[in-house]
Amino acid sequence: MSEKIGFIINPIAGMGGRVGLKGTDGVLDKALQLGAHPVACQKAEEMFREFSTLSKNHNNLLWVTCSGVMGRTVLEAAGMKNIQIVYSPSGDTTTAHDTQTACKRFLDQHLDLLVFCGGDGTARDIYTIIDKKLPLLGIPAGVKMHSGVFGINTYATAKMLLEFINKRLTIGDVEIMDLDEELYRKGEWKVRLFGVARGIIEPTYIQVGKACFESVSDEEVKDELAEHVKDELEKYKDWLFLFCSGGTIDSIAKKLHIEHTLLGIDAIYQKQLVGRDLNEEQILALLKKYPKAKILLSPIGAQGFIVGRGNLQLSPTVIKKIGIDNFIVVATPSKLIHTPLLRVDTGDKKLNRLFVKQGYFMVVIGYRLSRVVRLQTNSF
Amino acid sequence: MTQITKRNANKFLKNEYDELVKNHFEWNIRVLESGSKPHSIVNGKEVIMMCSNNYLNLSNHPRLIQGAIEAAKKYGAGSGSVRAIAGTLKLHMEVEKRLARFKRTESALIYQTGFAANSGLIPQLVGDGDIVISDELNHGSIIDGVRLTKADRAIFKHRDMGDLERVLKDADRKYRRILIITDGVFSMDGDIAPMDKIVKLANEFGAMTYVDDAHGEGVIGEDGRGIGSHFRIEGKIDVEMGTFSKAFGVVGGLIAGSQDLINFAYNKSRTWLLSGSHPPAVSGAQLAAIDVLETESEHVKRLWDNTKYFKNELNSLGFNTGESETPITPVIVGDSSKAKDLSNRLFDEGVFALPIVFPMVARDKARIRTMMNAGLTKNDLDFALDKFEKLGKELSII
Repeated sequence: MSEKIGFIINPIAGMGGRVGLKGTDGVLDKALQLGAHPVACQKAEEMFREFSTLSKNHNNLLWVTCSGVMGRTVLEAAGMKNIQIVYSPSGDTTTAHDTQTACKRFLDQHLDLLVFCGGDGTARDIYTIIDKKLPLLGIPAGVKMHSGVFGINTYATAKMLLEFINKRLTIGDVEIMDLDEELYRKGEWKVRLFGVARGIIEPTYIQVGKACFESVSDEEVKDELAEHVKDELEKYKDWLFLFCSGGTIDSIAKKLHIEHTLLGIDAIYQKQLVGRDLNEEQILALLKKYPKAKILLSPIGAQGFIVGRGNLQLSPTVIKKIGIDNFIVVATPSKLIHTPLLRVDTGDKKLNRLFVKQGYFMVVIGYRLSRVVRLQTNSF
Repeated sequence: MTQITKRNANKFLKNEYDELVKNHFEWNIRVLESGSKPHSIVNGKEVIMMCSNNYLNLSNHPRLIQGAIEAAKKYGAGSGSVRAIAGTLKLHMEVEKRLARFKRTESALIYQTGFAANSGLIPQLVGDGDIVISDELNHGSIIDGVRLTKADRAIFKHRDMGDLERVLKDADRKYRRILIITDGVFSMDGDIAPMDKIVKLANEFGAMTYVDDAHGEGVIGEDGRGIGSHFRIEGKIDVEMGTFSKAFGVVGGLIAGSQDLINFAYNKSRTWLLSGSHPPAVSGAQLAAIDVLETESEHVKRLWDNTKYFKNELNSLGFNTGESETPITPVIVGDSSKAKDLSNRLFDEGVFALPIVFPMVARDKARIRTMMNAGLTKNDLDFALDKFEKLGKELSII
C-alpha cells in the first residue's frame, strides 16, 4: 500500500440549506420535518467517482473510514477497494460526537491525509480533535464553506486529492472558520477564525535556471514575509502596528520573536507587544495614545476576506481612524492562487465604498515584492 | 596525527543534481553535429529544427560567415581586454553606430550577452527607495537583474494595463524612481507586450520604460527593427534591450536608446566593465547581420510567411496554439507528461521541438513550443505538420 487515507462524512451536512435553514447544527429535527434530504453522501460519491476517472490507478490506496453512511457506503458505491473500518456509530442518526470519536481513532492510524465531507461545522468538529496532526481535505457539502480546507467543488476536490497523491501539491496552513449559526439564521454574519489546520496547498516555485525551478516551502515564503515586515517595523519606528489574526500573520510574528494571538489582534510598538487579543474598544484606546498606526493583515479562509470575516474587531471606526492607506496586506503566493480577489465587508456602506473606490491592494508576497490583487466588496 | 574531516565540501554537488534528476528537472544536453541549420543533425539524427532562436537562419548566411572570417583575419582571434581598458576595437564602435541607425535611436551599446545587459544595467537604474514594476511572465534574466537591486518590486498581471495602472498609482505616492520592465515578445506564449500603452502610462506617471526584446529583435517591426518599430514608437522607449544571439544569428546583448542612457550604461554596468569584449569574428558577423537586415528584406518576410502557414495549418488540424502573435507558436496539449511524450515522439519522427511544462507554464497548459525558421521550406513544414497530425491523433490531442 502506498498511501493511507482517512475518510469521514457528516451525513447530515448541508441538509439545512435546501430548506432555508442556513446550517444544520442544532436544528436537524426541524430540517427533517421540512423535508430535507441528505446531500453529503451524494456529494462525496460524486467526488470519488471523479477521482476514479482522473486517477488511472488508485487500487494501491488504503481507505480508513467508518461504517455505513459515515464512510463505507459511499466508498463502496464509488468503487473504491481496500476499505478498513475503524469506527461504527451506535445510533441511526450521527452527531458531532460520532465525528469526533472517529477522528480520535484516525489519529492512531498513521494516515497521510484525512478527507472529509461536510461544511464549516464539520471542519470545526474535526479540527478540534485533529488539530495540526493530520492534513485535511474537505469535500464541500455543507451550507457554509468559509474554511480554507475545502475544494471549491467536487471536481476540484478530486483533482486536489489526485495531485496530493502524486506529490504535486504540498501541505501548508489553512484556516478553519466558524460562523455563529444562531446569529446567521437571524440574518447576521459573524464569522471568526477558529483555528489553523494543515491542508493541501499549491507549492510556490522560484526560477533557479532558465527553465529550472525549485519548489519553495511555505516556511521559506513566510521567512521572506517576516523579513519584509521587520523592515517596515524599522522604517516606521514611531508607528503602532496591529497584527491581525490568522496563520500567516502568526508565523510572521513568531519569526520576529513577537508574542502573538493566533485568533486575535495584537498591538506592537517598536517590536514590543503593547496590547494582546484586543477588542474594538481597546484598539481605539491605543489609537488615542499612538495616533499613527498600520494594520498588518492577511486574507482569511476560503474567500479572500481581509475585513469582515475573522477580524471583527476591525470595526468601521477603527478602520477610519487608521486609514485604508495604512493597510499592509500580506499573503503567500500559494494562497493567492486560490483567492484571486480580496473581499471586504465592513458592515458600513460608506466605508465599503471607500474600499471599492480604491479597487485593489498591493499584496506583499515576498521580501519587498508585491502584486496587485483586486478588491471586491461583499455581495452576499 | 589524525586528520579530522570537518565537512564534505563537495557532497552537495551530487546531492542537488540527483534531486534534479529525481524530479526530472535536469537538462539532458543534446548535441548538434551540423551547426544550427533548418535541417540539423542532433544526437546523430537528422531533424527539422523547430526550437532554435535562429529565426532568420542568419547564422548560416554567407555574408555573416564572411564577415566573421574577414574580421578575424584583420583583427585576430581575441580582443585583448575589457572594453573599458584596451579592448574596444574600431569594429565594436562601428557595430554600435550601425545598430543605432538600424534601431533609429540616438545611440546603442553592445554587451557580452543579453543576460549581461539585463543583470548589469537593471541594478544601476534603480536602488533603495525605487520600485521596479514587472510583468508576471518576464524572463529569468530580468528577475535576476531585479534581485541585484535594493529596489522594491511589484508584479502586474500579464499584459494587463488596468493592473499596471493600479501599481503605478500606488507607486507614484511612495517611490523616487519607477522602472517598468517587460519582455517585448514573451518567450513562452509568443504574445507581444502592448508597448504603446505601456509607454503612454509610463509618461503619465513619469516612469522609465525598459523592454527586453530578445525575441522581437530581427522578427517584428519594419525589416525586423523590433518592438519600437512594431508600435511605431521608435525612440520613445527609454531602454530597448535585445540580443544578437537570436534572429541576428550571432551572439551578444544590446541596448538602444538615448546618448545619455548609453553614457550612463557603459560607465556603470559591472558586467560590461568587467568582462572581455567580443572577439573580432563576433563583431564582424554582427555588422554583417545588420547589413543583411537592411538590404535583404526577404528573410523577415519568409519567416512570417512560414509562421502564418504553419500556425494556420496547426489550427485547422484542431491544435490549440494559444494567443501567439509571433513566430513562437505554442502547441498546447494540457498535461506535462503528454507534452513530454509528444516532444519525444516528434524527435523520433524527425522534428525537433521542446516541451514546456509546469512550473514554467500552468499545470494544465503544458505545450510544445515551436519556433519558426526562415530557412525551412514548405515541404519541411508539411513534413512537420504531418507528424504533428499523426502524433496528435495517437495521443488524443486532436
